[in-house]
Amino acid sequence: MLTWIPRGLRAGRITTRYPAREEPAPPGYRGRIELTNATGAAPELAQVCPTGAITVDRERRLALDRGRCILCGACVQAAPARFAFAARYQTAARSRDALVVPEADAEVPVEPARQALGEQARALRRSIHVRHIDCGSDGSEEWEIQALWNPYYDIQRLGFFLTAAPRHADVLLVTGALTNAMRAPLERTWEVMPQPKALVAVGTDACSGGLCPAGELTAGGVDALLAVDVYVPGSPPAPIAIMHGLLLATGLLGAGELAP
Amino acid sequence: MSSTTRPAPAPPDHLPKHLGATLEAGPPGELRLRVSTLAFERAARMLKDAGARFVSILLADTPEPALLAALALRGELLVLRAPTEADPVAYGSLGAWWPGARWSEQELVERSNVRPLGAHYARRLTAPDADLLDRRVQGLDVFALPYGPVRSGVFEAIQFQIETGGEDVARMQTRPFFKHRGMEERFAGLTPERAVHVAERVAGIASAAYAIAFCEGVERALGVCAPARAQRWRAVYAELERLACHLDVIAKQAETTALHVGQARFQILKETVVRLRARLTGSRFARGMIVPGGVRAEGAVGLDELSRELDRLERELQRDRRLFLGTPSMTDRLIGSGRLARTLVEDYCAVGPLARGSGLSTDARHERPYGDYKRLGVNVITRREGDAMARVDVRFAELFESLRLLRQSIEHLRRRDGELRTALPADGAGAAFGWAEAPQGELAMWVELRDGLVHRVRIASPSLRNWALFDHAFPKDVLTDFAFIEHSFGLTPAGADR
Repeated sequence: MLTWIPRGLRAGRITTRYPAREEPAPPGYRGRIELTNATGAAPELAQVCPTGAITVDRERRLALDRGRCILCGACVQAAPARFAFAARYQTAARSRDALVVPEADAEVPVEPARQALGEQARALRRSIHVRHIDCGSDGSEEWEIQALWNPYYDIQRLGFFLTAAPRHADVLLVTGALTNAMRAPLERTWEVMPQPKALVAVGTDACSGGLCPAGELTAGGVDALLAVDVYVPGSPPAPIAIMHGLLLATGLLGAGELAP
Repeated sequence: MSSTTRPAPAPPDHLPKHLGATLEAGPPGELRLRVSTLAFERAARMLKDAGARFVSILLADTPEPALLAALALRGELLVLRAPTEADPVAYGSLGAWWPGARWSEQELVERSNVRPLGAHYARRLTAPDADLLDRRVQGLDVFALPYGPVRSGVFEAIQFQIETGGEDVARMQTRPFFKHRGMEERFAGLTPERAVHVAERVAGIASAAYAIAFCEGVERALGVCAPARAQRWRAVYAELERLACHLDVIAKQAETTALHVGQARFQILKETVVRLRARLTGSRFARGMIVPGGVRAEGAVGLDELSRELDRLERELQRDRRLFLGTPSMTDRLIGSGRLARTLVEDYCAVGPLARGSGLSTDARHERPYGDYKRLGVNVITRREGDAMARVDVRFAELFESLRLLRQSIEHLRRRDGELRTALPADGAGAAFGWAEAPQGELAMWVELRDGLVHRVRIASPSLRNWALFDHAFPKDVLTDFAFIEHSFGLTPAGADR
């Protein structure tokens, strides 16, 4: 056992300083899509997107719903003058509408529950207990959530702890497009969590269903059943993106600080 | 012997005589045998006796409606094809006498109108209810404990019904399909270029393997071949994926013994691989790179730098492996836990590190080499013990084997330049199996194309096939061994449930 200790110390400090300092994504990272030119688009451009995230209105103005985007890059390939990948991690937003660009990014008021959670977190020196429930993800979101507790991200330094019991939990991380079999377990998990509590939808599937839109087998996103406090789109969102979502959900991070 | 269609070679000698089957033309490595629905079961049984391993049973629609069974035998994929217009399709059950075929057949029964004669499937496999437990427990003082689908920690949704008297596990029932999203249906009607995004999201942690199996299926159905350089890049992504998945399993094993530094070390190595992938492809899961006909682009990291990163990883890994294997508190929990006998593994037709840990030398990269593996030459690593330690040990050895393959691929990439993509014929049609060795085991995908669009996809995932064995993985083990044994399986519910 003792042999492990020098092994652990040798690595030195590798933990990110986020959110105190911005964590840059590697060049070429496909973190999210930016709309660089939204006017005068051909209506057919909407067909390029496999999940229907792109719409063209009557005035031929483009809109991109990041909550539906699975980052496949079909639009970047089809219209490089209009769409571009941005090498940044953060994707989270407090409302579903705020994920649609270029809609005016109206400031969403912090809901009382989340405000209370934020105040409580500050009073308790930021101790927040997190619970996760999988409602039909592809499995990669779970990897990225697990990564938050690895030495690179170490979210415990910000006071986030994983809890086994929903009754201890302040934040519920939900992944997946919400399959039929997971409806009841999700509802029950949410019900027994004490107030104040926040629900974070992690991944494009949880935000909108992604490639699994509402239908016979899936509800097409968590908000078909429960109100979502923070949406973290991405396929899957990177650990920093999830961390950003958690900080937003607990009111520990204002919309202006390091937010998009 | 039976007569043959074009081209007209006699059915190979290694197949049992009097199979009652006609040889049909098929893509390379795929031996198609046409049988009647009446002779279907008998032919499958004869092939099982000849040493075949069950892969999948499904209903095909191209070139005509047919019942299909895929079996792996000595470097070939045998496809028993029984054309039928009947509704329901009646045939002699395979699952009734072949444990490896049971879940696959039961899923087919519950999803489509087939009637396997002689089979009795009691509980509904594909529509689980978290609250509906099997009340008939076996033995006195035994109670049933539902574990899942919501579990402590960050895990995918799956449920286990554990019957226990307190310590011993009297019976285990795995209940998958909580996450069924109907992924196979999502392929239908898409262009192959678009459908590969679906393939990548069936089991997200094995994105590259699923993309490769799908693209191989498309390419084989259309009779095209991805350029050599594209195949090399595919192998690079597939082996990086194996590194990440195996490191994840080992980190989770360290976590269950509360070996915190060890857990941190292997998490660091895994994150290193994931970050390398992000720099190489722009996606932490290497998504969007593998496309039908080749790859989208060159990797964004220079080959010199890539091999330097891998060298560094290997050095670290060697040290950490030595420490891991020299920590008795770790290894003692694994040695002897969850022992699976070779015969059991054979009966259940298990694949991947699980099968290799029980002495079965099965690996799609070696049995039926595809893509770059035709040139690379994979050493299949096996252990005979069949316990959790053997499965972890197989993964450790495979990490180094993957690094060796990566280095070889990089060397090839360095030496010769070339095309990255072959154009697919417009309005192409055809049907074929594509396969790949995912980190969890052999993955096979039946792909049908019509007018250049995907018509039908059926997936034989390693996770579903291996999970059936979990019910038998507690011969002398107690409840507290659960986590060790589960992690040693290293499966993903997303792939099983689809």
